[in-house]
Amino acid sequence: MNSVMVADGLTKTFGPHRGVTDLGFEVQRGEVFGFLGPNGAGKSTTIRMFLGLVRPTAGHAVLFGQDVEHAPTSILARVGYLPGELALHPRLTGSQHIEFAARVRGLEDRAMLDQLVERFGVIVDRPVRTLSKGYRQKIGIVLAFMHDPELLVLDEPTSGLDPLMQDEFQRLVREKVAEGKSVFLSSHELDEVQRVVDRVAIIKDGALVVIDTVEGLRRSAPRTIEFRFARDADAERFRELPEVRVVNVEAKRITLVLHGPVAPVLRVALDFEPIDVVARPADLDELFLTYYRPQGAEIGDGAR
Amino acid sequence: MRTHVTNFDLRLRRRSLLGYTFGTAAYALIIVVLYPAFKSSTSLNDLVKSSSTAAALFGITGSITSPAGWLNANLYGNFLPLIMLLITIGYGASSLAGQDEEGTLSLAATLPMSRRRILGEKVVALVVQAFVLAVANMACMFVGRGFQLTIPFAHLLGATVGVALLGVDFGLAAMALGSWTGSRGAALGVASSLAAASYLVSSLAPVIHWMHPARFASLFYWSVGDAQLSRGLNVGSLGVLVAVGACSFALALWAFNRLDLH
Repeated sequence: MNSVMVADGLTKTFGPHRGVTDLGFEVQRGEVFGFLGPNGAGKSTTIRMFLGLVRPTAGHAVLFGQDVEHAPTSILARVGYLPGELALHPRLTGSQHIEFAARVRGLEDRAMLDQLVERFGVIVDRPVRTLSKGYRQKIGIVLAFMHDPELLVLDEPTSGLDPLMQDEFQRLVREKVAEGKSVFLSSHELDEVQRVVDRVAIIKDGALVVIDTVEGLRRSAPRTIEFRFARDADAERFRELPEVRVVNVEAKRITLVLHGPVAPVLRVALDFEPIDVVARPADLDELFLTYYRPQGAEIGDGAR
Repeated sequence: MRTHVTNFDLRLRRRSLLGYTFGTAAYALIIVVLYPAFKSSTSLNDLVKSSSTAAALFGITGSITSPAGWLNANLYGNFLPLIMLLITIGYGASSLAGQDEEGTLSLAATLPMSRRRILGEKVVALVVQAFVLAVANMACMFVGRGFQLTIPFAHLLGATVGVALLGVDFGLAAMALGSWTGSRGAALGVASSLAAASYLVSSLAPVIHWMHPARFASLFYWSVGDAQLSRGLNVGSLGVLVAVGACSFALALWAFNRLDLH
């Protein structure tokens, strides 16, 4: 059994336009799986079903081969969870929160805990209400990692952390992956995900729109090509090509957005004596934004 | 027995519990110390007799100048249950629905322990809070022996257990309502309304004929409204209070297991 996390037709309905529908994906042991989507797409709802906080309306959330709804809660001993909006009791200190979790988990070896506190400079002796969001998030990092779990479920994990701490956090995640741990990393920011993940799922309006490797996504990402010709070019010839969208036409200058291979475009372009060509590399951000945009807004709108 | 959630919640409630307990104990001591001044006041008894319905509204029935009547009229029939319910309904509403609304309940719910255990430990915290207040109050009553205010220990113990269980039952009702609705406000409002109705029924039943049978539906009757300070807490009353608590616990568990958490 190599899957540590499986969503099988996972559905949660809160109302007519909220929730997630028929999600299906698997996270393999030792894999870093990115879960991307705009705010409100259903990322946290999905995570909450895997943690047993929310019951699915239909389908199954499976952890380590067991349906979470019927599995013993001891399964959560193998999971570390870090929410983006970590809610702590304002009057209690970080150490009181950490001590509570450590006792419930029956944590005997505290080496990892102490190491995390030192590494991230966690302030443990002051009431949480006096700490900034970043310092509260550091307490969350300790809570999620201190028991060295097999699976890390990270929901917008670096929100509130300064850039140095974000880098340190990325290093920590890579170390855990090198040790063979699995990571489910949810975020609405491509940058946070693409540096560490093996595969990415993009969720929009509660439904999965794509699952692929970062490299696979990059291959299918749109490229922008701008031609300058010696004579007037016929834009219709380009429009007739598959997977090509003409986004701008000026005198002897045409800008295209290309999803497929470049050869057909070049063959047409040769007919109009091109004197210059500028090609922007595959734009993952553009692809990502395509999935984020409301239906009706199309690729290349931002290039006009 | 593991009590990590109990300890954690009691730490959260420590300040308010101590505040309420010391405040109530101070009030109880004043009531005790004032007793000799009113012990022989026939006019006070006459006043209560002449306005029995109004007196009943304040939880006063029978002689107000006897030790049991004095304590019931000034403490056990009204003030102590009120403070008790403030603590227990407040905790019952905040411990599940309130913490869920804040998002802090997921700290415990994402740890390897069942919801049954979380609820069970929170109920232990509820019981501890109720008995801390009730026992502290009972301790103040021992001072009464120096002020001619003597209540048999068994009766005092019965009233102490009765008022604590009253608080536990309404606290459990607030937990059940909070788990069912997911709303701290709804749990607080409905449980408080039930408690107020229960108080009115128990208080007015002795003086309003048609309400007389309804007293059995009031938890106040079974805990402090049936002359427990004079006669003690009988087994039947104890059984009702425990049974209601057990039913509320079962309802709370059923609702909590179905509650979607934030």
